[in-house]
Amino acid sequence: MLQQFLDSLIADGTLGGMPRDVAYLIGMLGAGALVVFGFVLNISGVTTFVERRVWARIQSRIGPNRVGPQGILQWLADGIKLLMKEEAIPFAADSALFKLAPFVVTVGFITAFVAVPFSSALVIADLNLGILYITSMTSLVVVGIMIAGWASNNKWSLIGGIRAAAQIVSYEIPAALSIFTVILITGTLSMQGIIQQQGWGPWDWFIFHSPFTFVGFFITFVSLLAEGNRTPFDLPEAESELVAGFVTEYSGARYLFFFLVEWGNLYVISAILVTLFLGGWQVPMIPGLAESPFWLNLTQAVTFIVKSYAGVITMMWIRATLPRVRVDQLMSTCWKYLLPIAFVNFMGTALWVLIWPEGFRFAELALTLLGFSMVVYFFYRVVFHLRRSGAELTFSPLS
Amino acid sequence: MVGGFNAYFSNIFEVASTVFEGMAVTFSHFVRKPTTIQYPDRMAIRVQDTLPYRYRGILEVDLEICTGCLACERACPIDCIVIDAKKDKSTKKMMLNRFDIDIAKCMYCGLCSEPCPTGSIHHTPEFEGADFSLESMMRRFVKQPVAAYKPKKVEDDPEVAPILERGMRYLDEFADPAGKTGTDS
Amino acid sequence: MTEFSMFPVVFYLMAAITVGSAFGVAFTNNIFYSAIALMFTLLGAAGLYVMLAADFVAVVQVFVYVGGILVLTLFAINLTSRIGDVSVSNRSLGRFPSFLVLGLIGYSMVRAIRTAAWNVVEVGDPVPTIEAIGDAFLTQYILPFELASLVLLAALVGAVVLSRKELKEVRG
Repeated sequence: MLQQFLDSLIADGTLGGMPRDVAYLIGMLGAGALVVFGFVLNISGVTTFVERRVWARIQSRIGPNRVGPQGILQWLADGIKLLMKEEAIPFAADSALFKLAPFVVTVGFITAFVAVPFSSALVIADLNLGILYITSMTSLVVVGIMIAGWASNNKWSLIGGIRAAAQIVSYEIPAALSIFTVILITGTLSMQGIIQQQGWGPWDWFIFHSPFTFVGFFITFVSLLAEGNRTPFDLPEAESELVAGFVTEYSGARYLFFFLVEWGNLYVISAILVTLFLGGWQVPMIPGLAESPFWLNLTQAVTFIVKSYAGVITMMWIRATLPRVRVDQLMSTCWKYLLPIAFVNFMGTALWVLIWPEGFRFAELALTLLGFSMVVYFFYRVVFHLRRSGAELTFSPLS
Repeated sequence: MVGGFNAYFSNIFEVASTVFEGMAVTFSHFVRKPTTIQYPDRMAIRVQDTLPYRYRGILEVDLEICTGCLACERACPIDCIVIDAKKDKSTKKMMLNRFDIDIAKCMYCGLCSEPCPTGSIHHTPEFEGADFSLESMMRRFVKQPVAAYKPKKVEDDPEVAPILERGMRYLDEFADPAGKTGTDS
Repeated sequence: MTEFSMFPVVFYLMAAITVGSAFGVAFTNNIFYSAIALMFTLLGAAGLYVMLAADFVAVVQVFVYVGGILVLTLFAINLTSRIGDVSVSNRSLGRFPSFLVLGLIGYSMVRAIRTAAWNVVEVGDPVPTIEAIGDAFLTQYILPFELASLVLLAALVGAVVLSRKELKEVRG
């Protein structure tokens, strides 16, 4: 779509006879810059604020609510404060590598957004290998973390960096396997292609496609949580154990980069999960929508962003619920539990696709029912806990 | 071997069920009212109004009923009360020229409000005295020299009467250990 | 004049990154800098693959080489104590003989590149390669594919055996 837009601009002559390739280059860079500055950085910042509020409400307290109405400018204030802090580089640290590390990490994170589909037309580049591209670009983050750990010239940073690398590299395997489980069903790696094969209703989503993909969803979720260094797998930046892990020596804008990447990575993880398992941007075909591409794309984009953000809030919720796992428990979870189950899923899905290439409708509906009943049981347990504690309820997120 | 197999699956099941239950608990907390009290500007009632009657906050002097007896100045263990009371030769009245209490020095022990005959020096529930300047720590109660109070049998001045009544009640219920009400301490 | 194409610009940029970083790998004194320069070399190589319309190979290059092999190299460097103390120069031959050998090899390489009968193909539109590669792996090249996976399995098992044996020797 971007190409058509640019072609039309060239044909009109509005670009003043610029060579075609240069126009494409500037167009792609412009679209990328728009997504990065208009969406990615803001979502990373807003996520820090939302996390603090959600976390606080789960802990029976109110989060930051003074800066701006209901505190929504808190992330801006934090960002500006960090930018204005003195950037101290330790004397014995390797300053060139120290300065390089945040950039490697940020590059690894931002390049993943090129293939994230916000709607049927809003994607910077619908790569033929979309999902593989995203997985490989997020692995650049590991290298940045290791560089940060080494360059700080600090025992704890080094250990934090190595642990982070071990964790991310180990968990890439069950994550990739589970992702490829879905690819077996779709036959294409393109993000738009995967979404187009799902439907708007939960019974058409891949999570309920077969019991193997159902389990695969949870495996992918856990593995991607570990890849993003999120609790319960956040040993590399364990505040109570390794000082601050690999970011111990970082302050100011460089610290901001690392944490922007961490919060933003939540969004990428969520986007991957939503694309693969939860139907992406699919919306029901209401008669009015099909005619106007603007409204269609808007609805689809809103659906996608809402779904991904629900995933992000679930990850925050898990962070507030679970304690951190030890490094040996982390490794054993990956290699002894997730990996064998991922392999079984892979083979199971291969058999499933072989037997029922079009999908087994009965299984899909049964699994949707199972999922629905799990949600109902969940709220039943929530009500049980509320009754037992006899606490006062409030549904308003405001203080 | 079979035992290990069972342990494997029971581990997985345990993880799944405990995480599920844990998330139900945290979600139940999410929909509860937070227990945070947003002091000081978003409280339902001012904290000063919730304090007990005998709370020993920052001192205050009602100059209308101060007799100039200097009992409080003598009683203060830290000498934070400075009173300047002189008999004016011309009018034959006791004039109060200065009544300064340094609340930075004051230890809020209540030893000054006990011996006061009228209850003019008393503790208030006010406790927020923090300020940016050291000068504001010195509370000067005399703006211009006033005459001290002469206690009468029956007070009939309508402006002074309520103040005297409050002061005497204060003394009864607080400063006097035995207390007219009969309660001790 | 033909229309300005970005292709040569991007190609020279990628080539400069790749070759420059390769020089960095070889000539830096600090071993960690060599590893980072290696990262840039591999990324440059991935860029060159993209220019050759080998999209799958480029992405897998980043995934496996940068995200796997480079990370393990960095592991080794980080976990080796006092790695900065090692002097990385081999004094066995000396400079003049090495320059001579280098010159001979360089000349023969350049001669071979210039006189070879290259199969020059027209630059067409890039086509997605992943389906073709997948098909080839499972039909025409299945034997090399399976043998390669066997080799990897042997390497994994060998690594485990080696590390276990060392531990036993230390204990006993």
